[in-house]
Amino acid sequence: MLELLTYDFMQRSLLAAAMVGGLCSVVGVFVVLRGLAFVGAGTSHAAFAGVALGYLMGWPPLLMAILFGLATVWITGWVEERGRMKLDVSIGILYTATMALAILFIGLMKTYNAEVYGYLFGSVLSVSSDELRVIGGLAILVLGLILIFSKELYFIAFDQEMADASGIPARAIFFLLLTLVALTVVVSLKTVGAILVFAMILIPASTAYQLTHSLMTLTLYSVIIGTTTSVAGVMISAFWDVPSGPAIVLLATTVFFLSILLSPKTLKRAASAHAH
Amino acid sequence: MEGMPDSVPTDSHEPIIRFDHASFGFSSVIALKDISLSIDAGEFVGVIGPNGSGKTTLCRAVLGLMAPIEGHLHIFDCACDKLRCHHRAKIGYLPQKGVVDRNFPVTVLETVMMGRYGALGLFRRPGANDREIAMAALAHVSMEGHKDTALGHLSGGQQQRVFIARALAQQPKVLLLDEPTTGLDITTQHNVIELVQHLHEELKLTVLLITHDINMIRSRVDRLVLLKTRLYAAGPPADVLKPDILSAVYGKDLVITDKDLVIVEDYHHHH
Repeated sequence: MLELLTYDFMQRSLLAAAMVGGLCSVVGVFVVLRGLAFVGAGTSHAAFAGVALGYLMGWPPLLMAILFGLATVWITGWVEERGRMKLDVSIGILYTATMALAILFIGLMKTYNAEVYGYLFGSVLSVSSDELRVIGGLAILVLGLILIFSKELYFIAFDQEMADASGIPARAIFFLLLTLVALTVVVSLKTVGAILVFAMILIPASTAYQLTHSLMTLTLYSVIIGTTTSVAGVMISAFWDVPSGPAIVLLATTVFFLSILLSPKTLKRAASAHAH
Repeated sequence: MEGMPDSVPTDSHEPIIRFDHASFGFSSVIALKDISLSIDAGEFVGVIGPNGSGKTTLCRAVLGLMAPIEGHLHIFDCACDKLRCHHRAKIGYLPQKGVVDRNFPVTVLETVMMGRYGALGLFRRPGANDREIAMAALAHVSMEGHKDTALGHLSGGQQQRVFIARALAQQPKVLLLDEPTTGLDITTQHNVIELVQHLHEELKLTVLLITHDINMIRSRVDRLVLLKTRLYAAGPPADVLKPDILSAVYGKDLVITDKDLVIVEDYHHHH
């Protein structure tokens, strides 16, 4: 198994997995706490439609993914603010509409394009050095912004109106968070794919949620869980020759269910149920 | 009068909140109409009124979350005609119960520290000084022993205390409480109101308390403001809580007994 680590492609994919896992798990903390879980799913499908359009027209796919992703999250945020419609309804519509666009774009392509499917299902083992640089650059940008605005992001996740009332520019921070979600999704497309990236954002933070009552500890646990399951998932993928996306996500899902079983919160509830 | 301890006489007459023929809402649905009201520094004001009377709108207006569609609102000499107002950090706000997810994974100290964020502004991290202020705020509500406890593990009354401490950590000039006793048992309600009165006296805080519980506050506040879309009455509790005013606003006969209780019943017209 250690022999695998000497290959260039393996080193690249492990590095990509670690970065994507770490990034998704940090962004995921705010997504889970602010209740934006479904937004992630909508964004990933929109970003995939961007990739498909990019390949169809010969435009840079990652740039198109960013544009489509940003448009989706901003429309979503705007709809939530207006309160015209329930968020799950508006995202449901956007989600399927962008997926329809993606299918349309793929259908319009004259030839079968395997690379497009790579973005749908993820193929971390084929990450190139250039892609790794893009992933690294965007990851640093997103994590940097989170670090700079962490106290505001935690506050709006806790209660946006209270944050607003306390003099925090809550609306701007909310749109920043949406932007970061879109960028994170795009960064992760290549490694885990549009269908599974959502799990990478949700699972580490939700797992950490079971284990602690402190915001700081929650974030720390989330990063540890996100990074280790991603790296371990890639190892499993390379060693047993199974697709990397499902390997990462199913491993993370297993850890999530274990955390529910072993959660101090669950155990305490069970104990108090016995006591009654 | 009993229940009216030697409260601070507030003759300072410095209006810090001034509504001047202000209306709020949308042109189709007016939530508050033509409100003229001054609140002086150091006053303890109770805001009462039936459901849908505009109490929460008044609260949002004072917080600077809503600009008047007609008239003016001045807070700390700042005209809130535009939404962005810089006075927000000076108003400590306790939202209605149920607005905040109380099972949010956050400790008591982390919650109270959030009260510092507005004053700190962007790009600055809370330091030792902010921690001291937060701990002092917790001491004011007698919760300093629970600083590392999960917010979700506290009782309803304790959570209210923590949220009051969060507001105090802003080092506010005004404490704005939106129905702080809702959903609490009677003893806890009493304790929370007593704490608010104590903070008003000790910290010389201007307090705006929105509530349905007229009985609980009538002997404690300097002034009552009675809303029903318009400002129906404002003044000392004895002047506001008159049977004719109350029945006009609440649509039922409210009777004030000799025990100083306001009883909501069809007292006279019981068929």
